[in-house]
Formats: sequence, C-alpha cells, structure tokens
Amino acid sequence: MGYNTLPYLVLFLPLSLIIYQVSGRNNRKYVLLIFSWIYFFLCSKKLIIYLLLTSAGVWLDGLAMQKSGGRKHLKTALAVLGVGGLFGVLLYLKYTNFFIGIVNTVMAGRGAGAAIPLRHMLVPIGISFYTLEAAGYLLEVYWGRQEADPDFVRVALFLGFFPQTMEGPIARYQDTAHQLTGGKPVTEQQLFDGVTRILWGMFKKIVIADRLSLIVTELYRNYAAYNGIMIPAAAVTYTMQLYMEFSGVMDIVIGSAGIFGIALPENFRQPFFSQSASEFWRRWHISLGVWLKTYLFYPVTTSGMTKKWNRFAGKKFGKYITKIGTSFLALTPVWLFNGLWHGASWHYIFYGVYYLVLLMIEVILEPAKKSFYKKTGFKKNGRFWTVFRILRTWLIIFTGELFFRAESLRAGIAMFRSGFHHIGIQRLWDGTLLKMGLDQADWLVILAGIAVVFAADLLKEKNFDIKASLAKKSLPVRWAAFYGLIFAVLIFGAYGPGYQPVDLIYAGF
Amino acid sequence: MNEIESKIIKILMDQDDSINYAEEKHLIDNRILDSFAIISLVSELEEEFDIRITAVEMVPENFNSVEAMAAMVQKLQG
Repeated sequence: MGYNTLPYLVLFLPLSLIIYQVSGRNNRKYVLLIFSWIYFFLCSKKLIIYLLLTSAGVWLDGLAMQKSGGRKHLKTALAVLGVGGLFGVLLYLKYTNFFIGIVNTVMAGRGAGAAIPLRHMLVPIGISFYTLEAAGYLLEVYWGRQEADPDFVRVALFLGFFPQTMEGPIARYQDTAHQLTGGKPVTEQQLFDGVTRILWGMFKKIVIADRLSLIVTELYRNYAAYNGIMIPAAAVTYTMQLYMEFSGVMDIVIGSAGIFGIALPENFRQPFFSQSASEFWRRWHISLGVWLKTYLFYPVTTSGMTKKWNRFAGKKFGKYITKIGTSFLALTPVWLFNGLWHGASWHYIFYGVYYLVLLMIEVILEPAKKSFYKKTGFKKNGRFWTVFRILRTWLIIFTGELFFRAESLRAGIAMFRSGFHHIGIQRLWDGTLLKMGLDQADWLVILAGIAVVFAADLLKEKNFDIKASLAKKSLPVRWAAFYGLIFAVLIFGAYGPGYQPVDLIYAGF
Repeated sequence: MNEIESKIIKILMDQDDSINYAEEKHLIDNRILDSFAIISLVSELEEEFDIRITAVEMVPENFNSVEAMAAMVQKLQG
C-alpha cells in the first residue's frame, strides 16, 4: 500500500485521522501506534516481527545504558550490542546473497566446483530507514545527548510511524519523538496545509514521474539497443523521474504527518540549484546526509586514528596535505556506507565511490579555485560562474544517476561507453525517444509539469514563501489553487488504461 | 569578549577572514562553516586549548557562534 495509492489516500489515512481525532488526547498516541503497526503488517505481513523486536530491543537497550550509570565499559558494551545487533540484522537480511555471490565468484576463480546456493530472503519494508533511526537513538543515549525514553510507545512510534515507514525521512529522536506522542488535535489549518502538500506530491509522482517511468524502464532494460544521445537521455529522464518521485512521496509523507500536527524533517532543498557535488548532497536526501554526518563522519573525524594522522601530518606535510588525508579518512566510510545502504550491488558501491572521488577532487582543488578567482579577478558569485557551476553539477548528477539506475555495474559501464558512439542527436525528435511508449500529449504534460515544479523550486530558492503568499490571497483564489491541483492530478495523472502502476523507488532500498 | 573567544576568532579568521565572527550566531545553520571547515577547526581548537573534542560535542549548537565554542572549550577544560 504505497502512499500514492487510493487505499492509503482515501481509506487508511482518513480512517486513522478520524479515529485519532475522536480519541482522547492521552489515547491518540496508541491510535497512531496501532495504525502504524497495521500499516506495517499490511505491507510486510509476518515480517512485522522484526519491527516489534527492534522497537522492544532498542527501548530496553536505551534504558539499560541509562541505568549503567558511571560504568563506562558496560555502557559501551550495551551500545555495541544494540547498534551491532541492528546492523547485524540489516546485513543478514539485505546483504547475505551479495556476500555469497562474492564468495562464489572467488571460489569459481580458483576452480572450486560447487557454489553456495543463494538464499531466499524476505526483507521487511523500510528496514534500511528504521535501522538508521534506531542506531541514531542508541548513539544519542550512549553519548549522553539524549535521555533514554521510558515510554515504549514513543520509541515504537518513532521507529514505526506509518507515513515514514517506507521511505523516511530518517528523523532524529530529539526532533520528532515528542511530537508523535503529544496528541495534538487535528486543526482545519493543518488539514488544509497537509492535503495541499499531499496533492503537490501526487502531482509530481503520478503526473510526471510515473509517465517518465515508461521511458526509463525501456532505456535501462534494453540498454544494449541504445547508444549516443539516448544515453544522456536515459540519465536525464531517470534523474527527473527519481526527483519527482522521491520528493513527491516526501511531500505526501510530510503532508500526512503534518495533518496530525507532526513536523517531519525536509528531505530536499532545491537540489538542482547546487553548485557542487557536496552542496548537492546537502540538498538531496538531506536526512540521510545528516545521519551520515552525525553518526559516521564526525565520529571518524574525532577518532583517535584521525587525530593521530592530524598530529603526524600537520608537523610533517603542512595543513593542505593533512586536510586531504583527513577528508579521505572521514569520507571513505561515509560514501561506501551510502552506496551499500542503497542496496547490495556493485553499481551502488560504484555510485558511492563516484561521489567520494568527486568530493576529494573538491577538497584537492579548493586552493587552486580560490587562487583562480583571486588572480583572474572573476567574481565567484557572478551570474556566469554561478550558472556554469550549476550546469557542471547537473552533469555530475546525471552521470551518477546513470550508474545508480543501471541494471548492474557492467550495464552502467556499457551504457556510459556507448554514449560516446554514434551520437545521433536527431533521435531526440525523430520519434526514437518521443514515441517510446508516450504520445505527444504525454510529453507536453511532462515538460509542463517539470516547468511548474522548477518554477516552484526557483521561487523557494529566492526565499519566496508560496504557502504564506497563498494564505494571504482571498478564499476563492486559495480554493482555485487547491482544486487546480486536484484536477491536474485527476486529469493528467498517469493511471488507468495504458499505464502500469509504478512502485515507490526508495521503498525498495 | 574573553581571551578564549579572541583566540577562537583568530583561528576562524585564519580559515576565512570575510566573516564577522563576533556577530554571527548561526555559523552552522547558515552554512557559513561546512563540515570540512569544522574538522579543521576541531583540530585547531584541540591544539590551542589542549582539549579533546569527541563525537559527543559534534552538534550544531556547539559551533553556531564563537560564544558557544568558547563555552564548549571551557567545559572541556573542566
């Protein structure tokens, strides 16, 4: 039951809202938890046992750490047990077959006969997301930045709140947990804002992303049949599909939670206005970036090993080389983790390493860039250089997403290489691309839709508050905007005959 | 402004002298200091004040302003 489906939007969400609202303030947290567990059960059936055990385990481990008082070793052991257990389960469920595959390849290379058979693993929905939230909570308790929560319902809701189950955002305990159990009533304003945000998300998802899905599926499935200009076309269409889909689902998620009066963290901040790869990752899947920075990057940079390097290299090589070394030490685990987190496949690892290399290049070139602007007298923030950096970042993003979406690393490399053969730019308009499962009207809807979303992003980038501006307009204008969105989704949505329902991309990670 | 704050401002000015650090209260929230700047800053602070900064201290609140950094330094000096 994806967030873009009718059962969720017209049945599950309204029913949960009604029962939540008619329940007493103190009972509302139980209503949310029961609905969250029902949602999880509907998605993953008996695999809900993983969520239940994780919730209980994390709650108990947190309390045990709190009770350990000054016994540092015991506290550390409990943290290792908790975090290790969480990632142990994730590794086992998601990565067993990946490692068996590696072992089999090595064995086959050495002439060993029998291969280890792959296992049929059932993975509960959202495990990659709630595992990170749970580990974050335990680390906060371990570091003493967060009191262990005695309220099991709050811990369980933090890990299982139904709008977040499938795709996050990956929240920090101190940011959302207390809102989840606050029992705030649903207000008319929350309802209006939430539904508008959901409609905006639906527009991105089913009007734009689901249409693009037809093209993307064809280009990546039959990649061997395409070369030249069709490869950049594949990269751009997939990047657009992913952005519209993931940010659209986030709108539905944040809108759903917003109706209950719960503010979830934003996951996107106009990523296509980024001027570098590192800035892109501060604007794209923000909650994953924040998690990696808080629980991996900073612990590594403040670790004994990094500090030893800093002291040693600082005396021997100077500041510049020290910074390169420190950055490499800290960024390597972050980007390997980022790649592997998305899935057990070499093309995801490649995707992580790709950004590691780009970020290292940024660090290495930083003094040269400063000196370039100083010597030439070019204005770094002048319009030309700003647009140049944005377009360069687009190239980086599109190339990365080509490998990210490819069926395998081998397919990704083959696609990348074939992009330089037989360019054939006319295929963009001679029907090769335009008639690939979509008609002219579909393309018009896609282009108009993307233009609308980018116009909204541009306004946000210029600090124009669309919501506040709309709120100041007269009632008929507000309702016109509201109904405009509803009709856009109903009329232009890619559903019904000729369209396949498209599963949520990030729910698969 | 106390001595610790003056020393911190000097370290920050060495990194980027275009910011008015004494006035700025949202160095992290406004992305004036990014994570790379923070890691350089951490090693400089450790050396200057003979303290040990760990992952526990790595929260935006400790780095948003010079006062916040000075308070953290004082706390770590015990």
